Amino acid sequence: MTNFDAAVSAADLTKQYGSGDAQVTALNAVNVAFGRGELTAIMGPSGSGKSTLMHCLAGLDTPTSGQVWLEGARHGDAGRVELSGLRDDALTTLRRDRMGFVFQAFNLLPTLTAWENITLPLDLAGRRPDQAFADTVIEAVGLRDRLHHRPAELSGGQQQRVACARALVSRPDVVFADEPTGALDSRSGAEVLGFLRRSVDQLAQTVVMVTHDPVAAGYADRVLFLADGVIVDELREPSADRVLDRIRSLESVARGGRTSVGAGA
Amino acid sequence: MLRAMLRDLRAHLGRVVMTLAAIVLGVAFVVATWVVSDSAAATVGGAQRTDLAALVHRESEDPTATDIPADVRDRLARLPGVTRAEGVREGYAALVRADGKLGATSWPDAGGTDWDGSQRFTLSAGRGPQRAGEVALEQGAAAEAGLTVGDSARVLLGGDRSDTATVVGVFTYRPAGHELDPAVAYDADTAARLLRPRDAAADVVPGFARIELSGPDERAVIAAAQAELGPGFEVESGSSLRAVREQASHDAADTIRKALLAFAAVALMAGVFVIANTFTMLVTQRTRQFALLRAVGARRRQVRRAVLAEAVVLGLVGSTVGVVLGVGLGLLAMRLLPVAGTVAYAVSPWAVLVGYLVGVVVTVVSAYGSARRAARVSPMAALRTDAVLPRRSLVLRTVLGMLAVAGGVAMVAATSSDRLTESTRALAMSGAVLAWVGVLLIAPVLVVGVLRPLTGVLRSPRPVTRIALRNAVRDPRRTAATASALMIGLSLVCAFATVGQTLTDTTTADVRASVPADAVVLRAATFGTFDDTVRTAAAAVPGVTGLAAPRSGAMLVIGPGGTARDTLFTSLDAAALGSALRVRVTAGDADLRRGVVLDRGFAAEAGLHVGDRVRLRFDAADAAGRVTPVEVPVTVAGLREPSELLHGQLLDDALLPDGVARQGGSVYAVGADAAALRTAMERSFAQRPDVLVQDREQVLDEVLEPFQLVLGLVYVLLGAAVVIAVFGVVNTLALSVLERTRELGVFRALGASRALVRRTVRRESVVISLYGGVLGIGVGVLLGGVMQYVILANPVFAMSVPWLAAAVALAGMALVGVLAALWPARRAARADILAAIATQ
Ligand SMILES: Nc1ncnc2c1ncn2[C@@H]1O[C@H](COP(=O)(O)OP(=O)(O)OP(=O)(O)O)[C@@H](O)[C@H]1O
Ligand SMILES: [Mg+2]
Repeated sequence: MTNFDAAVSAADLTKQYGSGDAQVTALNAVNVAFGRGELTAIMGPSGSGKSTLMHCLAGLDTPTSGQVWLEGARHGDAGRVELSGLRDDALTTLRRDRMGFVFQAFNLLPTLTAWENITLPLDLAGRRPDQAFADTVIEAVGLRDRLHHRPAELSGGQQQRVACARALVSRPDVVFADEPTGALDSRSGAEVLGFLRRSVDQLAQTVVMVTHDPVAAGYADRVLFLADGVIVDELREPSADRVLDRIRSLESVARGGRTSVGAGA
Repeated sequence: MLRAMLRDLRAHLGRVVMTLAAIVLGVAFVVATWVVSDSAAATVGGAQRTDLAALVHRESEDPTATDIPADVRDRLARLPGVTRAEGVREGYAALVRADGKLGATSWPDAGGTDWDGSQRFTLSAGRGPQRAGEVALEQGAAAEAGLTVGDSARVLLGGDRSDTATVVGVFTYRPAGHELDPAVAYDADTAARLLRPRDAAADVVPGFARIELSGPDERAVIAAAQAELGPGFEVESGSSLRAVREQASHDAADTIRKALLAFAAVALMAGVFVIANTFTMLVTQRTRQFALLRAVGARRRQVRRAVLAEAVVLGLVGSTVGVVLGVGLGLLAMRLLPVAGTVAYAVSPWAVLVGYLVGVVVTVVSAYGSARRAARVSPMAALRTDAVLPRRSLVLRTVLGMLAVAGGVAMVAATSSDRLTESTRALAMSGAVLAWVGVLLIAPVLVVGVLRPLTGVLRSPRPVTRIALRNAVRDPRRTAATASALMIGLSLVCAFATVGQTLTDTTTADVRASVPADAVVLRAATFGTFDDTVRTAAAAVPGVTGLAAPRSGAMLVIGPGGTARDTLFTSLDAAALGSALRVRVTAGDADLRRGVVLDRGFAAEAGLHVGDRVRLRFDAADAAGRVTPVEVPVTVAGLREPSELLHGQLLDDALLPDGVARQGGSVYAVGADAAALRTAMERSFAQRPDVLVQDREQVLDEVLEPFQLVLGLVYVLLGAAVVIAVFGVVNTLALSVLERTRELGVFRALGASRALVRRTVRRESVVISLYGGVLGIGVGVLLGGVMQYVILANPVFAMSVPWLAAAVALAGMALVGVLAALWPARRAARADILAAIATQ
C-alpha cells in the first residue's frame, strides 16, 4: 500500500467497554486506512465492532487507545489532523466541516424541511451552500420536488436520500454511513446505494459504509471484514457473490478458530 | 398497578419536582392568605376589655354639650354593684414631629386621653405619667414621631395650645367598641387641664367623654346605671362592646382575606395551567406504558384512576410542603407589615385544611383531562413505534375562544355611552374578563398564527433561531399552555399598571389643570380638615392676590322633575375660581356668581343640563343648634370634569345659607411673586404644626402616593403567579428536551457544538416567554383600558399605556426565558450522540 492515498486512517485503534469481568473489547488494535475517492464497505457479524469502528473514526466516540487521522485534502497536506488529541468543540467543528453522516434511521431534524436539513451543516458553519453543486446533488438524489417537505412527509427511502444529500453537499473529506439501507426495502436501498456510488465516481467522494448486506457491499470498491474487533480480511472489486463466498468461508474459519482456541485452553 | 404507577412517578422525579413547585407555591399563597387574615383578626380584635361592665355616653340634643359632668361619675360610683366608675377624658391632641408638623397615624380629635389603671393601657416601655410635664405615648404614634422614653415630646392641643412634656412611657391601647387609639395620655389632673375639643375656647373645662363602669354583674350594673341616669344618657353593655370589636376583627380579616384570595386565585390559575401541562407531557411520554397496561388487561377506568391517584399523591405531597411554606410566609408577612402596635400571630386549623383541599383539588382537576386521555390509549399503541396519544382537536377550543373574545368585546362595546351605571360597569368588566378567558382559549392557534409566519419573516441564515422557533410551534398546545400561565399573571400586572398609569396621568393632568404652577397650597397635616383660622390667616399674608379655600358638605339637589339626589357640595369664593384654583369646564361656564357648576358625571346621572333650574337643600343649624332644611333655587351655570381636589358640585360661598356644616382641608393662594409668597406663608404657619405649606407638585405627590403604594403591593402579589408560570416554562423545556434526545444527538453529530445546542434551547425558551409576554402585555393593556373605563368612565382607548412597565415586563420575560432554559439547555447539551443514533 505504498502509493495508497488515504482519506482516513487509524493505528492500533482499541476500544474497550466496561471493566473487570464485564469488559468487552469491541476493537482490538485495528490498523486501517480508507482510500480517497473510494467507497469502502465494512462487513462483519453482529457485535463485531463495525459501528464502534465507525464512531471512533468519526470522532463520535473516544477510543481507549490508538490514533485516528483525518488526512488533508491531498496526501501529505497540512490539513492532517489526529483526532484523539481534540476537545469536544474541535471535534464538533471537524464533523461539521469535514465529515458527512448517514445513519441507519432517524437522520433528519423533524422540524426542518428537506432543503433545510440538507444545508444544516453549512448553516451551522455559517457558510452559504454552493448553489450549483447543491443543484447537482439534489438532482442526483431526485428530490427536486420534495425540498420543502418535512421529513414526516417523506418516505423512508426519500429520507435516507435527503440524508445522503446532506452528507455530500458540504463536500466533506469523508462520508460515514452506518447501515444506510438497513431500514429500507431493496428498491429504495438500491437507489441510495446507487447514489453513493455515483458520488464516488462523479464527485470523487470518499465514503465509508457499514453494511450487513452483501448486495450493498457489492457497490463498494473494497470490502473490509471485521470479526471480534479485528480486521480479518479484505476484498477488492467485490461482487455480491464474492462477498457472500468470503463471508461463508470466514464463518467456517471463525467456527474452526473458536474450536481450536477452545481446545488449546 | 397503583404501585407500578407510583414507582413510575418516582422514576420521573425530576419532572415531578417542577409540578410540585407549582402546587407548593399556589398552596403556600392560599395558606399565607389565611394566616395573614387570621393574624390580622387577632391583631385587630386584640385582647378584649374584660374589666368593662358598661360604658356611659351623653346623649344630648345640644351638640356642644356631649361631655359628662364629674358629679354624674360620683353618683354612678355610689351605685350598688358598681365596683369602679372611671371618667375618661378625651381631647384634641397630636404629636409634633421633628419637622415641626403633625404625623398622620392617629385621629387628633380623639388623640389625647387620661391615664388610668384600667385595661385600656398596656405599657411596652417605661411607666405611666404621674405629674404635670410627663406624658405617655401610644406605640405607633411614638414610632412615627421618632420618640422614645426620656425624649421631650411636643403635643399640639385643642384651643390653640401646645404642650411640651417628657415621655415617661410607651403603651399599646385596648379600645372598647368603636373607640380609636389615642396618641398621648396624661395623668388625670394634667388631662383635665389640657384636653379639650379642637376649637374650644381656652377657658372651657370640659367634663368626661364617657364613663366606664365595672362590676361583677353586668346586667345589674346596667340596670342600676339606667335607673340612676334616666334619659339623656346611653349605657352600652361591656358584652355588646366586645361584640363590636369581635365584629370589627372579623370584618378586617374578611376584607384582607377576600383581597388576598383574589390574588391567590390568580396564582392558582397559573398553577392549573402549569400542572395540567406537566401532566399532559408526563402522560404523553408514557403512552406506551399505558398501552401495555391496557394490553395486559387493565380497564380504562383503572388507567384513569391510576393517573388520578398519581395526582392525589402529588397534590398531598405538594400541599404538605405548601402548607408549611405558607404558614412561614404568612407569619413573615405579618412581621414585615407596617402595622402599628403589637401584632398577634394566629394559625387556624382552617388554614391547613384549606391548603390541603386547594392543593389536592387543583392537582386532580388539572390532571383530569390527561387521565382521560391516558385511559383512551388503545392497547395497539404498545405495538407501534410511533405511538401517539389521541389528541383532541383545537377546533372546539378555538371556536369557544373566538366566541368568548367576540362576546366580551361586544359586551364592552354595548356599554359605551357616557352614562355608566353599576350594572353597565359590571357588564363591561365581565366582558373584559370573558375576552381575557377567550384569549387563553385561542392561545394555541395564536401560537401557530404568530410564530409560524415569524419563521418565514426571520429568514435568518442562522439555524439557531429557525430551529428554536420551529420547536416552539411544534406543539402549539403545549407552548400555549406554557405561555398562557405566564400571560395570566403578566396580563393582570399590565392591566393594573395601565390603570395605575391612567390614574396617574389623569390625576396629574387634573391637579396641574386645577392648581396654577406658582400657587402655594396649605393642607391639613392630618385627616383632611382644618379650622377657619387657617383661611383668615392665609388671607392676611402679604402678597396674596387670590385665595381659594374650598369647603365641602352634604346637600340634596332637587331637579326640575322634583327628584332629589344626595350629593356633596364644595363652596368657595367665586372670585378665586379661575385664579387660585381652576376647573375644567365641559359645558356652560365656571362663573359661580351665575349658579352652580355640576360634576359632569353627576349631571349625566341626574339628567341635568346647563341652564336647568334646580333647588339645593341644605341642613342649616341656627344659633341654638337646631337643624332645619333650607332650600336655595339656583341655575346650572356649567358642567366640569371631576377633580381630586374639588369634590361634588361647586357653589359660591355667598350662596350658602348660614349654619350649613362644611369642612375644608386646603387653601390655595396665588400672589405676584410666587417665591416671596411661599416664604411668607411658611413664616406665617411655622407655628401651626397642623398646617403644611406645599407647592403644586408636592400636592400631586401626596395625592398619588396611596395608589402608588397599592399598585406596588398588587405587583408583588401578582408576582406569585408569574413565578409559578416560570416553573412551567422550565418544566416544558425540560420535558421537550428529554423528548428530543435523539434529535439533539443527531444535531450534535452533524456538527452543532454544545454551546450551539444550549443557545437553541435558550432561544426556544425566550421565544415561548416572549410570546407569553407579548400576549400578556397586549391583553393586559386592553384589560387595563376596560378597567379604567369602568373605574373612571374614560373611553376605553383613552387609557395611558404604561410603556415603562411594559418594557420592563418584556425584558423581564426575556430574562425569564434565559433563566428557565438554564437547566434544560445544559441537559440538552449533554445529549449523548451515540445513544441518539443507535437504532433502538
Ligand atoms: N456502550 C456499550 N457498552 C458496552 N458494550 C458495548 C457498547 N457498545 C457496543 N458494545 C459492545 O461492543 C461490541 C461491538 O459493538 P458494535 O455496536 O460495534 O457492533 P456492530 O458490529 O455494529 O454490530 P451490529 O451489526 O449488530 O450493529 C459488542 O459486543 C457490543 O456488545
Ligand atoms: Mg452496528
